[in-house]
Amino acid sequence: MKSGYSGLTPVQLTGLFLGIFGLILPFLLPLGSLSFAGQIGLGIFLMAAVFWMFEPIPIYATSMLVIFLQIVLLSAQGPMFMDAKLPSAEPVQLQEHTWQIPTRALKDDNTVLVITEPGKTEAVRVDVVERNGQHVIVRSEELSSDRAIVTDTGHRLVNYRPNSYTDYIGTLANPIIILFLGGFMLAEASVKYNLDKNLTRYLLSPFGSSPRFIILGLMLVTAALSAFMSNTATAAMMVTVILPIIAQLEPGDRFKFGLALSIPVAANIGGIATPIGTPPNAIVIAALTEYGKSISFTDWIIVAFPLVIVMLVFAWWLLLAFFPPSVDKFNLDMKGKINLSPKAIGLYVIFGATVLLWVTENQHGIPSSMVAFLPVAALVTGRILTKNDIRNLPWDVLWLMAGGISLGIGMDKTGLAVWMISGFDWGAMGYITLILAFGLVAVAMSNFLSNTVTATLLMPLVISLHTSGVMGDSFNLLITGIVIAVACSLAMALPISTPPNAIAMSTGIIRTKDMAKVGVIIGAVGVMLVLAYAVFYWPLVTN
Amino acid sequence: MERSDIYILCIEDEQEVLDAVVRDLEKLEEQFPVETANSAEEAREVIEKLLDDGKKVGLILCDHILPGDNGVELLIELHKDERTFASRKVLLTGQAGLDDTVKALNEARLHHYIPKPWTREDLLEVSVSLLTDFVIDEEDNILPYMSTLDAERISESIRTRRSISDE
Repeated sequence: MKSGYSGLTPVQLTGLFLGIFGLILPFLLPLGSLSFAGQIGLGIFLMAAVFWMFEPIPIYATSMLVIFLQIVLLSAQGPMFMDAKLPSAEPVQLQEHTWQIPTRALKDDNTVLVITEPGKTEAVRVDVVERNGQHVIVRSEELSSDRAIVTDTGHRLVNYRPNSYTDYIGTLANPIIILFLGGFMLAEASVKYNLDKNLTRYLLSPFGSSPRFIILGLMLVTAALSAFMSNTATAAMMVTVILPIIAQLEPGDRFKFGLALSIPVAANIGGIATPIGTPPNAIVIAALTEYGKSISFTDWIIVAFPLVIVMLVFAWWLLLAFFPPSVDKFNLDMKGKINLSPKAIGLYVIFGATVLLWVTENQHGIPSSMVAFLPVAALVTGRILTKNDIRNLPWDVLWLMAGGISLGIGMDKTGLAVWMISGFDWGAMGYITLILAFGLVAVAMSNFLSNTVTATLLMPLVISLHTSGVMGDSFNLLITGIVIAVACSLAMALPISTPPNAIAMSTGIIRTKDMAKVGVIIGAVGVMLVLAYAVFYWPLVTN
Repeated sequence: MERSDIYILCIEDEQEVLDAVVRDLEKLEEQFPVETANSAEEAREVIEKLLDDGKKVGLILCDHILPGDNGVELLIELHKDERTFASRKVLLTGQAGLDDTVKALNEARLHHYIPKPWTREDLLEVSVSLLTDFVIDEEDNILPYMSTLDAERISESIRTRRSISDE
């Protein structure tokens, strides 16, 4: 969130230079085993991380820049790898088990790289017999004259097979992005026809006029809406609901703090409940799907919903404990009338059908991303959304997620992710400690960074812990991924933590210290709860 | 409260009246710096200087009877200038006749007419409402204005225009 009105702040300017420095840094340091492509990948990763942290450019711009740099620097069609061919030759047999190979084919550790399949090599140990300038004579039982060896072991294609650039730009049409597109269009139409406000009015009415239950009602409705709509739009809408209530309170009444905090807290937590609730979920689901651990809409709800309910009730209790109500009764008078125009009714039908198909994915088996195209097509076919409405969609968020997914692909593909985890003895840590550590790191990071960015930076590590197998059999990729997604949404200690927090803080009603107090407790209790779910509940409902 | 680059311009030839207007706008001044001018000519200079510095004129409170060009003429001129077209324009006067007022309404798209004498509450309410319109129409990031201006309308604008998205 940019705080200034114009120009770059000193912090942003620092970030700009640090980020550019990060891009070239891997080429200035001896990084040992990291491949050339891995060095490029590390440069892009460092630049993106710094840009996302300091925001010298908007975070969606960083995402687009990531994709641009990847297609130019890492793709098979980019100038770096366009004409590149891995130099190789068959070894020349002198006698049985004695071979003559080019000097540059022999690595410093006396191994030779045998090409097993395109883009893949295997290191084979050899005994050096004699060196004579251009060639080396070696003894080995594993070399053979029909298997080519790499004749330049320092070449940039060693252990790297570049992706087509279409893999990187294609992330914008990743199924999870399409799922979000469907959600965004439903949300856009809901706002246009005031479905969100009218639903709020109806859903709040059973909660009566007691302040305690009004807060509970506000939190449940906020969470329910933000599970399907943007957390930010929901929070903005609910702020318009609570401002008139707060105006009824005495100026010094502390209950207003609780009331104003209930909205961002519930909006942040509500995003956890469904795959489309909040962008970090998308980053995690996309990465899991890439490694064969796809999770259906239904399964996500089974996993997340019980956690959301417990967190909401806890947060409700916490807010009431800190800021007890001072009056017995509130007047919650929401004006408005349900829109019954044909287009609005069309929206209600499409909305209902889509949500129904989403939550019953396990029963009918149609992937949620396919279902997401129902609202996409139906809302424009029925002219419920027009050209201007489509232009108004949060495309920046789709690009932000696409860039995050793309960065993950690059980190995995270049071997960077595995290299990054290689310096640490993860196996000694134990699975439960690992989950706890990831949860705490995710909450801590996303209090300062965008939730999506946090998920983007952490997911490649989770994936490489899985692919490298260093954690052994106890490691559960799916559950660790879910821990990351949930923990990213539990960060709400600062105004900059999430846009709903920023909106609530901007009303001028809350003090930063109240937000911090409530946010830190929710974050800490939340991570413990996530750990408990990850150990006792999630293994039962996932496979 | 951080100073924004949106200015309030008060144009009034009587110094005591001008001081009174500025005093009444004190609550807004922390975020919206107030500039003053005693004549249409001086107002033009102030506006040129502000625009040259990359600032914006959000609200113009203008008396009618001024030395040289009168207030209505000035507002019409500013309405025609694309750089001050979006500025919210208020005629704060006791002396504009019906003809002048109608002219201001039709040709300068006057946003509000405050008859003298005014009350502080009225002046603040009108200024807050017009500045809210201005920031909603003109600013990308409207969050910093929420606590000073109309929070309900700014939230509603975030909801409908999606100027802030989930990250």
